[in-house]
Amino acid sequence: MAVHETTKDSQAPAARTPNRGLRWLRRHLVTLAGLATLGYLILPNLVVMVFSFNKPNGRFNYQWQHFSTDAWRDPCGVADLCGSLGLSLQLALWATVGATVLGTMIAFALARYRFRARSGVNTLIFLPMAMPEVVMAASLATLFLNMGIQFGFWTILIAHIMFCLSFVVTAVKARVMSMDPRLEQAAQDLYASPVQTFLRVTLPIAAPGIAAGALLSFALSFDDFIITNFNAGSTVTFPMFVWGSAQRGTPVQINVIGTAMFLVAVLCVLAGQLAGNRRKRSKRS
Amino acid sequence: MTKTATPQSSGGDVRLHGISKTYGSFTAVHPLDLTVPAGSFFALLGASGCGKTTTLRMIAGLEDPTTGTVELSGQDVTALPPYKRQVNTVFQNYALFPHLDIYENVAFGLRRRGIKSVKKQVEEMLDLVQLGPMARRKPQQLSGGQQQRVAVARALINHPQVLLLDEPLGALDLKLRRQMQLELKRIQTEVGITFVHVTHDQEEAMTMADTVAVMNGGRVEQLGAPADLYENPATTFVANFLGTSNLIEAEVVEAGGEELLLKAGDAKLRLPAARCSASARTGEKVLAGVRPEKVALKHGDDAGSITEGHNRLPGRIKDASFIGVSTQYVVEVPGLGGELAVYEQNIERDGRLVPGAGIVLHWSPAHTFGLDAAQDIQAGADLDEEAA
Repeated sequence: MAVHETTKDSQAPAARTPNRGLRWLRRHLVTLAGLATLGYLILPNLVVMVFSFNKPNGRFNYQWQHFSTDAWRDPCGVADLCGSLGLSLQLALWATVGATVLGTMIAFALARYRFRARSGVNTLIFLPMAMPEVVMAASLATLFLNMGIQFGFWTILIAHIMFCLSFVVTAVKARVMSMDPRLEQAAQDLYASPVQTFLRVTLPIAAPGIAAGALLSFALSFDDFIITNFNAGSTVTFPMFVWGSAQRGTPVQINVIGTAMFLVAVLCVLAGQLAGNRRKRSKRS
Repeated sequence: MTKTATPQSSGGDVRLHGISKTYGSFTAVHPLDLTVPAGSFFALLGASGCGKTTTLRMIAGLEDPTTGTVELSGQDVTALPPYKRQVNTVFQNYALFPHLDIYENVAFGLRRRGIKSVKKQVEEMLDLVQLGPMARRKPQQLSGGQQQRVAVARALINHPQVLLLDEPLGALDLKLRRQMQLELKRIQTEVGITFVHVTHDQEEAMTMADTVAVMNGGRVEQLGAPADLYENPATTFVANFLGTSNLIEAEVVEAGGEELLLKAGDAKLRLPAARCSASARTGEKVLAGVRPEKVALKHGDDAGSITEGHNRLPGRIKDASFIGVSTQYVVEVPGLGGELAVYEQNIERDGRLVPGAGIVLHWSPAHTFGLDAAQDIQAGADLDEEAA
């Protein structure tokens, strides 16, 4: 559009002007596309952030009224909110630990050993990823019901570990498969016992894969709603609390928690980047 | 290079008794007896798949032998895992730990043996391989040659009885390889550790090793000092794999004296009986061999000036290639059905020696060797080109 206008305005002086505009566009196209994508990703978060400073009239936080830090000063002011948040964090933590430990062991077994049912396990491990969540949720609920297990913290935890497993296995297995087997042989050749070899060489090299699997597990477990909702009984996690309250009204505190989570995540990424940069710089010097 | 106070750890000897390795129905190494004397530089030479690396890995303990025993300095270590053997390996492609810096890579073996103060030793070792300033870099930030030196330092710092080198120079370019060959030889002389070196590069083996074992198809074809192997190959494989050989099919017409008289086509050749590894009774076939650089070439018109008593073969130049220090000729000899290679030093170049010229090849009978004719005359000839 802008290009066309310039052509009309300065038709006489030179036919060069539209060229210059086009050239500028061509040179900066990638940047522009990048910025647009970034905006698309960040805009919802910004809205959440802005509305955490809102003071709504009534129970719904959908319209901007005026600025207030009330919700930030009292994030637990809504009944059950912080309880459900604590529960979700606890669940996410244990699900991460469980899925990472089990998934890492499965990944090593699949990558290193040939055993019967290996190809079967290899395929089945993808099932939780591929299956619609609601189907898995319903079938799990049926299973727990038939076994007479009380719904609650433990059923949620079992369900979370199950669907996190496949992500950990995939991440760790890729890492272990690409590892040069000679590194472990070299460690053994240099007087490392099998246990030392695993702790000093295998594990550190597999660590980025394990960390990726753990992070994914935490994020997936923390914000899971469907499977949790089917298997929670009367227990209420944070996503369930948000869903439940959305029927009756949305307290500003939800935006506060959401913004806080977003900021924590951004801080983690920034810290990681800084550490990486410093390492790179110290290597170069 | 600084002289370091590396303690003279006397190397140990390696004895393999009837050692073999089979994978299913495939035999990688046939039962093999081998003794590597303490403090020597020993090379296992062969084309890929000849069993040399498997043999090395059995010494390191990374591969369990199917049969036989491995002895280090008189101690049977066959049942010991690799981390309990006083042996260290320089791996092909080095296998440096990517998550540790150079310093920690080199210190790895010391730390695993519970040695607390490693600083002095590691720094000395890094100086020995000229990598002191690189101590805090990660392996992937180093060049191939530097990585190779780290791999050597990481193994040598443990003062093993035997250092095993698995194609350690394979990933380096030619110039760097030459340099590292001398470097490794120097280090070996300095520290006195027994080196067992696996390579497919015959020049590398001959440059560095005191003793070379030529392996082929899971067996040792011949073992000896490089010069001895080159001058007196025992099989056609060794003759062709180690350098180039002209092998001429011939029939023994006169035996019994110090020299055998052979008939090859229309020509008569003489061969010292002591240099014939095959049985050579009158009427039997042998292969007469001579190295290309030992053959001289005279234009047909000057045939009269050839030293009396030399072996002679008349022929025609088929191809000549000038390569600086020498000219390499391919000569067709009628009646033999094959072509011979001749390397002439470029001292006085005869302008008449061009393709098509009729010439006479001649060489001293003392430079002729005899091989059993019942083997593949081409064995090992193509492998060398592949490897190079």
